Amino acid sequence: MKIFNTSGKLIILIIILGLVGLMGYAIFGTHSNVKTSPLIGKQAPDFTLKTFDGKDLALSDLKGKTILLNFWASWCMPCRQEAGALESAWQKYKDEDVIFIGVNVWDESSNAQSYLDQFGSGYTNALDPQEEIQVNYGIGGVPETFFIDSSGSVRDKFTGPLTEQIIDYYVLKAKQPEKNES
Amino acid sequence: MNNFMKTKVPYFPAFLAVIFILLCLSPSVADEGKSIDDQTKEISYLLMCPVCQGQSVGESNSNLANDMRDIIRKQLEQGKSKDEILAYFVSSYGESILATPPPKGINWLLWLLPGAGIIIGGIGIALFLFRVQKQEKEENNSVSNAQAADDNEYLKRIEEELKESDS
Repeated sequence: MKIFNTSGKLIILIIILGLVGLMGYAIFGTHSNVKTSPLIGKQAPDFTLKTFDGKDLALSDLKGKTILLNFWASWCMPCRQEAGALESAWQKYKDEDVIFIGVNVWDESSNAQSYLDQFGSGYTNALDPQEEIQVNYGIGGVPETFFIDSSGSVRDKFTGPLTEQIIDYYVLKAKQPEKNES
Repeated sequence: MNNFMKTKVPYFPAFLAVIFILLCLSPSVADEGKSIDDQTKEISYLLMCPVCQGQSVGESNSNLANDMRDIIRKQLEQGKSKDEILAYFVSSYGESILATPPPKGINWLLWLLPGAGIIIGGIGIALFLFRVQKQEKEENNSVSNAQAADDNEYLKRIEEELKESDS
């Protein structure tokens, strides 16, 4: 029993392939343009953190500085892995108007304090009493690091453990005037 | 049953397609009158948990999902609307945070293609059944014609034999 002739089968095949192709384009086609964070190129969300030595730290007070904002937790192994690189890089950039801020998230404060005692960070570490900064910055895990330029604009986001080379690359990029990147 | 399948079934896919399109186009139910808890729950199911595999914020017990639910509640208490809250999460995480892609731009394809698939599939099935029905009719006609020809020949032979026996 012959239901469709050859040209009919061909048309049906073309329609099915066309629909599958369009569906594939809709799902995967735009991914090449996806940035690592929708915040890149926009003003960094403001925050007021409480440092581990009890002071308030607001982003709005740091205008004119290049900022490395690193999210970490004491239970996070990659955070331990990058701690040495962060400390070394901070020593290198601390006199160059580059501010390093560690933000402790999803942690017990006693564990966080032990972590800081162990890894001896010289730069400022803080936490958000409102526990909102991690969502404001679209954090999906730790460690994640944002690089904010002197105008307060988010220049880059790096997910995963940092090395000194990676820090150098992004800090130097954030210190340069922003180019129109398309 | 067979006749029913042949005559009614071709309309069934088209009926399903119409129902699907109407469901897609129907306006969402207003949030008015719902408690903050209910609204928090509803919005949390519209957001995907960024650290979970295929779970919405409403389904996840992760720290991040808890934070996100707290923020939804806080923003609702501040009088923000559902759309404003969803826009806030999109501004932080991008559109991939939404459990349902918004019907705009290329995303329209994701909304329209299933409906188009159902309609095209329905037309294909209807066409298939129509052709099967037509072919069966043709086969039945040719069988009954052949049967009639056989019957005529048989009757002729009987008449001839009767004539022979009479003479």
